Amino acid sequence: MPKVEIPPRYRGVTVGVKEVRVEAETVQACLDAVEVVYPGFLELVVDSAGEVRKFVRLFLNGEELSRTTFDVRVDSDDVVSVVTGAAGG
Amino acid sequence: MSETRQDKIIRVDMTDGQILVEPMPEPWRKLGGRALSARILFEECDPTCDPLGPGNILVLAPGVLAGTSAPTSGRLSVGGKSPLTGGIKEANVGGNPGQDLMKLGYRVVIVTGQSADSEARFALEIDAEGVRVKSVNEHRRKWNYALIEDLKEVYSKTTSFISIGPAGELKLAGASVACTDADQERHPARHAGRGGLGAVMGAKGLKYVSVDPGRSPVRKPVEAKDWNALSKKFSREFINGPGKEPFPKWGTSVLVEEADSIYTLPYKNRVECRSPDVQTLDGMRIVESFETRGGGMHNCLKGCIVRCSNVVMDEHGEYKTSGLEFETLALLGSNCGLAHWEDVADLDRLCDDVGLDTIETGAAIAVYMDAGEMEWGDAAGAKALLHEIAEGTEVGREIGNGAAAVGRARKHHRVPVVKGQAIPAWDPRPIKSVGVTYCTSPMGADHTAGLVVELGQPHEEAVATSQDAQIMNAVVDSSGFCQFLMPNLDEVRTFYSYFLGEEISRDEIAEQGWQCLEDEWAFNRAAGLGDVDDLMPDCMKEDEIGPQKLVWDVLPELVEKIYTKPAVFRDELFSMRPS
Repeated sequence: MPKVEIPPRYRGVTVGVKEVRVEAETVQACLDAVEVVYPGFLELVVDSAGEVRKFVRLFLNGEELSRTTFDVRVDSDDVVSVVTGAAGG
Repeated sequence: MSETRQDKIIRVDMTDGQILVEPMPEPWRKLGGRALSARILFEECDPTCDPLGPGNILVLAPGVLAGTSAPTSGRLSVGGKSPLTGGIKEANVGGNPGQDLMKLGYRVVIVTGQSADSEARFALEIDAEGVRVKSVNEHRRKWNYALIEDLKEVYSKTTSFISIGPAGELKLAGASVACTDADQERHPARHAGRGGLGAVMGAKGLKYVSVDPGRSPVRKPVEAKDWNALSKKFSREFINGPGKEPFPKWGTSVLVEEADSIYTLPYKNRVECRSPDVQTLDGMRIVESFETRGGGMHNCLKGCIVRCSNVVMDEHGEYKTSGLEFETLALLGSNCGLAHWEDVADLDRLCDDVGLDTIETGAAIAVYMDAGEMEWGDAAGAKALLHEIAEGTEVGREIGNGAAAVGRARKHHRVPVVKGQAIPAWDPRPIKSVGVTYCTSPMGADHTAGLVVELGQPHEEAVATSQDAQIMNAVVDSSGFCQFLMPNLDEVRTFYSYFLGEEISRDEIAEQGWQCLEDEWAFNRAAGLGDVDDLMPDCMKEDEIGPQKLVWDVLPELVEKIYTKPAVFRDELFSMRPS
């Protein structure tokens, strides 16, 4: 099953869980599957227009994905990484 | 041979204006910034002294790598005993004075004593000709921007300034120390904000410090070839990695929406941690204003590759403020129930001008509002309060002395402070590790002392994370590097090694960070701070936030594990990056 890596900043909704294995065939389906288990996750990653939020970057096996298209096929060993920018201020 | 062998220090006794320029003591040679400030205060300052009396010491210490060609490495530590916390304090600041002091070979300025005439004002002038104290009573009670405009008429274009506004002269515990930006306008927009060190400077009668490096060259590393290769590689990786976005593009102000989404945007004195006005407060509105009004992003010190500082213009396209940060939008904005970034920009300018910490002032106004003294969201009222602070009225002094002072005066129960210092935006209820930092850092509630935005951590892990972050940040704030450059300890020690021409091991760099904390904790214990000062205020334990109804619930006996030195420093410590 593909794995979704949860960034430290969004582990409030996953109650500290750092990665989630999901049954899914696309990146979009992976994110949706995490949302089913941990409601509130998806809105942290994607805005109401369906684009990746400005502080988030999505990677598939280390390759950065487009901010608008997640209909990318995943295999069972693939890793979807959700990465957030710096904090501070 | 390392250039550090010829380094000097400046001692200024404000009691009689005597100046001593001495060689940098050998035991301090590898120390800079926060660690150097801590060592000087530990060795030379009576921890029981009155923070506003002649016994306190004001330290101005650039980081070890300031004045070199390393990227974003010229930050300055301002240190002293804090009138706000009663303990040791270091506030780290950008702008150009740190770079300029080091180009002249001055590793630290140590200001002692106090003028017998509390109305007398002095300047300290530092340049290639030497160091001088002079009387500047004509500048008494000037606001920072007006002061710098006047000074620009007198000093050369290569001079940078460290100054205080009326809040520092009034010795208010929320007063900041301003440093001028690197660009030619030299706005006094960079502030060593936390802990009231502006009041310490004011108590000494020191209105400003001018630093003119003239044509002094950058400091040269011993192993120049390796240094240059490292510097280029590090810069390239930063620019193509974390530096791509978001900070260089938009600045920290765009964290408002992000913080809101994870319940760490304080609202109405922290009774909630999400704001209904998030869209009109978020920094993206500032970014959008660049198109119609001008302004944009710039670097606050020479050689910076982060460029996270915004320049904010008013509706007429005139300069209003710069460095309008997330913390300011949170504490002076949502925390006071304000709805629009434009009002916060006005308040930011006023704070910079009067010489105030925006975090402490925002928290103080929120307590004032929460106590029923002003309506939530009253922007005009908040701006009027800042004028009252500058005028030194009774209510102005109350607000200018910080959140705890307002709580005491108004007998209000909800006062979110630790060690008397206001809690920054990053909230300890969802982010346990930063809560541990607020409780145990020698600095009081200060996110820059150890922030890792990781939610959902088991409490034991949060304590370990905070300990690592506190060690790491102590090192970074001693190096001169900006935390936003995000260097890890392996990178810092490699820069040190090439600069000094001697190997700095993992153990040595971690020990330096730990020793800095030890010096600061020892100072605080001797000053009278104890276990009771490590407690989170009741409001953080009682006011629930978010759907998970989060409160501060880490047990004190777990928190105090932070004080136990690890038998071996964890590998995570060396790869961890400031955030």
